[in-house]
Amino acid sequence: MSMRSRIVNYIAALIIIILFAFILPRMMPGDPLQAIYGNEAFVAMTPEFKAELIQRFSLDKSLNQQLKAYVISLCHGDLGYSYYYNVPVMSVILSHLPWTILLVGLSLLLSFAIGLFLGVESGYRQGHFTDRFLLTCLTLLSGFPAFFVGILMLLFFGVSLGWAPLGGALDLYANKNSLELILDVLHHLLLPVASLVLAQTIVTYMYTRSSMVTTMGEKYIRTAKAKGCPDLAIRYRHAARNSLLPVVTSTGLGFASMISGVLLVEIIFSYPGMGTLLYSSLLNRDYPLLQGILLLMAVVILLVNFLIDLVYHILDPRISHAHN
Amino acid sequence: MHTISFKRTIKLNNTGCLGLIILLIIVILALAAPLFAKYDPHAYTGLIFQRPSAQFWMGTNDVGQDVWSNLLYGGRTSLIVGFGAATLGLLISVLIGCLAAFLGGIFDNVLMRLVDVILAIPPIVLILLIAAYLKPSMFILILLLSFFLWPSGARIVRAQVLLLKSSTHINAARTFGAGLFYLIWRHIIPEMGPILSVLLIQNARKAVFMEAGLSFLGVSDPAIISWGKMMQQALSFSYLDIWKWCLLPAGMALSLTITGLMLISFSLESVLNPRLQGRKDNDYVAGY
Repeated sequence: MSMRSRIVNYIAALIIIILFAFILPRMMPGDPLQAIYGNEAFVAMTPEFKAELIQRFSLDKSLNQQLKAYVISLCHGDLGYSYYYNVPVMSVILSHLPWTILLVGLSLLLSFAIGLFLGVESGYRQGHFTDRFLLTCLTLLSGFPAFFVGILMLLFFGVSLGWAPLGGALDLYANKNSLELILDVLHHLLLPVASLVLAQTIVTYMYTRSSMVTTMGEKYIRTAKAKGCPDLAIRYRHAARNSLLPVVTSTGLGFASMISGVLLVEIIFSYPGMGTLLYSSLLNRDYPLLQGILLLMAVVILLVNFLIDLVYHILDPRISHAHN
Repeated sequence: MHTISFKRTIKLNNTGCLGLIILLIIVILALAAPLFAKYDPHAYTGLIFQRPSAQFWMGTNDVGQDVWSNLLYGGRTSLIVGFGAATLGLLISVLIGCLAAFLGGIFDNVLMRLVDVILAIPPIVLILLIAAYLKPSMFILILLLSFFLWPSGARIVRAQVLLLKSSTHINAARTFGAGLFYLIWRHIIPEMGPILSVLLIQNARKAVFMEAGLSFLGVSDPAIISWGKMMQQALSFSYLDIWKWCLLPAGMALSLTITGLMLISFSLESVLNPRLQGRKDNDYVAGY
């Protein structure tokens, strides 16, 4: 698929999501304002404020003009007002976002590195004991959803052994210098990251392994072996480097599932990121916040997938040439 | 028409058989839930937060319901949603894939573009968005999940039908005046049997997983018992020592189901990816 049609796909996907976010609350029975803001907030509103909101969303105008008002406010970065937190949605999200970025970034990096290493080692020895052992273990492990792995870890390392904190991102109200603070944050990150990595490594591992197996059948590997290249050089300089390409795609596939995994894992460890925020917005029917989080997630996932496509095209010029 | 032998193409290796056994046990337990459960899953037994005992095999939960009964009936939800969405998704895949391949031209372009666009949408975002407003019943949940399951299958079906379309026996059937739906029903679908069964299993795995995630987030119909919801409820009592007894059974059951489906789908993967097949049993692919 050419780059241009991929961009069209991503834009179309974003438009569909925005349309759903716009139309769903307005389609619900009853007052659209009630659906946009949720029951509790609706009851608490004063008539003047209601009138102001109706004006702001152009709710008294046609659907076309409502959509226009909606899109314009989105373009200004205005995601609405969270009734539960009593602040604009954007500022609630921004205060929780860094924790999720930290969690996702670290887990992605680790699962990518571990998956790559295990995949190379496993694919290099296809059919041997190490390979079969790794394959079986990781396959069985990947049947466990990340959030259940999180629960098991919490029970075992947190509750039974007491090695790790039970939740949160750092110990509040403790005066710590910067080094202690960093260690404390890492200590809290340990279990959530571990459960995400355990669930996610399989994606990179599977792609790397099958790609390695294909590469090991190539003639240049036989040549390298014949001329007496050291084992390690064949494994990493010849085979692994040429097996990397499909692994790039796997990171893209992994990213979306990582995002859905992180939402649930955060809830388990009451980690103050987007997942916990999403959960509380669902429980409190804080619909503006819910919409804001989901729209942001959509943009980020689409953007990351697009960047990965871009990297793929740069790494493998054959793909763009095939279409010209 | 040459017949495709399921036995010859679908070879389960040991892990695949293990997966099948796990899945069968879960299906039997869920189907015959009234036989195995001593209590009505909704009924209040009079005792809350009981540890596992002879009377309550897995204890009771916060509202005094028997966890074992809940587990069995929750399995029904998972399996109905999983296989319901998987089957519906597969039907749409076959329909769209066949139409795209047979009609070709602008139809093919439009349908495949639609597939690409839906594949680009992160499912979790749209499903959560819709589920938060609609509080979906089981039926709507199945519809919602199948909407995200069909596109990848449609692509595979289309590619296979394009190959089959030009084969001699299809041409022969066409010259005898076979209509489009007759062709699909009598020739295409039987020949794609193995591939369709792999797609079904893969769909089911994704659907079971998503259903559990959604009910864990509390966005499914509150009246339905499900494993995800059992875990969500247990998690809110994490300050009590007893909560793990409500949490572990549901989590284990869910993991076992997903593992079972995954083992089957991994061992069948060679059907989808002929390059993984050994040289000896390549004739199935060569037959195309």
